[in-house]
Amino acid sequence: MTAQVDPEVNGLQVRSEVAPAIELVHAARWYGNVVAVNDVSFSLGAGVTGLLGPNGAGKTTLLHMLAGFLAPSAGSVHILGRSPHRDPSVYRQIGLVPEREAVYPFLTGRDYVKFNARLQGLRDPDGAARAAIARVGLEDSMDRQIGTYSKGMRQRVKVAGSLVHDPQVLLLDEPFNGMDPRQRIAMMDLLGVLADEGRTILFSSHILEEVERVGTEILVVVAGRLAASGDFRAIRALMTDRPHNISIRSSDDRRLATTLMADPAVFAVELTPAGLCVQTAQLGAFRRLIAGASRAAGVRLLEVTPADESLESVFDYLVRR
Amino acid sequence: MALIEASGLTKHYGPVKALEKLDLAVEPGIIGLVGANGAGKSTLLKILLGLVAPTSGTASVLGMDSVRETRAIRQIVGYMPEHDCLPPDVGATEFVTHMARISGLPRSAARERTAEVLRHVGLYEERYRQIGGYSTGMKQRVKLAQALVHDPKLLLLDEPTNGLDPAGRDEMLDLIKRTGTEFGIAVVVASHLLGEIEQVCTYLLAIDSGRLLQAAPISHFTRRVPVLAVEVEEGADRLAAALVAKGARARQDGARVLVAIESDALYDVVRDAVADLAVPLVRIRQERGRLEDLFRDDAAAPGSAQ
Repeated sequence: MTAQVDPEVNGLQVRSEVAPAIELVHAARWYGNVVAVNDVSFSLGAGVTGLLGPNGAGKTTLLHMLAGFLAPSAGSVHILGRSPHRDPSVYRQIGLVPEREAVYPFLTGRDYVKFNARLQGLRDPDGAARAAIARVGLEDSMDRQIGTYSKGMRQRVKVAGSLVHDPQVLLLDEPFNGMDPRQRIAMMDLLGVLADEGRTILFSSHILEEVERVGTEILVVVAGRLAASGDFRAIRALMTDRPHNISIRSSDDRRLATTLMADPAVFAVELTPAGLCVQTAQLGAFRRLIAGASRAAGVRLLEVTPADESLESVFDYLVRR
Repeated sequence: MALIEASGLTKHYGPVKALEKLDLAVEPGIIGLVGANGAGKSTLLKILLGLVAPTSGTASVLGMDSVRETRAIRQIVGYMPEHDCLPPDVGATEFVTHMARISGLPRSAARERTAEVLRHVGLYEERYRQIGGYSTGMKQRVKLAQALVHDPKLLLLDEPTNGLDPAGRDEMLDLIKRTGTEFGIAVVVASHLLGEIEQVCTYLLAIDSGRLLQAAPISHFTRRVPVLAVEVEEGADRLAAALVAKGARARQDGARVLVAIESDALYDVVRDAVADLAVPLVRIRQERGRLEDLFRDDAAAPGSAQ
């Protein structure tokens, strides 16, 4: 895996050496004069990746190109080495959970999933439907009409429908939408299990805490461009123009501040009522010196918190530039 | 006076028991309402708004009965529905003024209040444009503005951040917090996002299968526990072993080492162990409870199959 910086959009890319499950090369999609996706290149192998970006950034268009609904206006899109547009044999390897509620309310959950199984030409649609429904934990309600389902249940039946043919690639557009806390936890766990089975999973979400819990790999789209891709911690490390902020509480903040200021790895220390705010450009060096420095100063360390290393800060830096 | 009171509140829709003998008394504040889908949240909101009558039992808002004093309640309650409910072909100003007029404000007052609340929710030049062309974030703001325009004492917000992107969510949460603290309006926020509730709410109301699961201040769930979490870039195993050797009760948890805080001297033991091993220190933090634990512990409880 190598990291690259795209100077124009503050981005970087991590490329895998193995044949990627998903690969875009200079892919673009426009609608008339509206450019939804603009010159995007990335590749993904097995594992979970979060697709992030503000509303209207082009996430859904990107997913629809991957699912084969849309041909790229320029560049290429490949799933398992083949172009998905108008190629049903590629669909056999793709599971899609669309954002909109594309389910028939008059069908039972079981019928809906079975339809998907038959659409994919499976030999045992009944068995496959049952297995998929079990994976999302809907057995108890599978014979009820979807119209009577709660939002979270409809979301889960869509996931079951997308899993029924055991696809290698899963594309999910806001899969957690409408789910209650328990269902969210279960769905996060399920995505982890599906990834561990060697599938490639790309899901879009606005809830960054949840994305961070599912995995560390992200793609960030801003105004149709790929702003960054890869492990968000690696992305953070590449933002050399942003110093790292660390909040510290100790038994004697002023004394600790004096000691820290003497070290070249630290270039600013602010004394606030809530504690110290330390700025450093060399995070690794700082992390190695902080414990020793406080011991030398005879100061008790009560709390050390990185203030801008979370996915939320990284996303914020990428989007609000 | 209690903000919301319910006693023996029951609502059945045919065979479906949406609420079952719910008892609660909540003081004003910013209240997070959580519960599984189908737990009875929406039914509770509808009863408080006087839109549906309970099968049995009573509910009241600021001492007013939800069945007998429906009109009086609507004077003091603002409601932001979850679903898309805005007319696409009018501007925000026109729509919110209309809602103010419906609430009984005279024309001039309605106009003034509308200008005020639209500014409060952060809609400026765009307020004369047709709502149909608004972004999700702008639509959510209009929904909040119409709920505030008649100066209510209680705001009921149903999934106010639904469909918002991270920046939009932050702004909406900040707006809710300001509305609750600066304007002193009590707010009930129904949401599935526990992180969001931890961030803005002061009180948690959790219902499950139509019954009260939890009712307590948020701080009750997020209080500190006597465990220090020490996160390192590498060498968590060595750090845990070193701490155990020094007599601390420590165990490794991935990149973290969890240490029981038995006395304040422990902080020095941890600092010295990290310094001696020269492991890169990422974080030291006392552990806190999380709202999520509420939904993890009883994952096998009845109703979890929903």
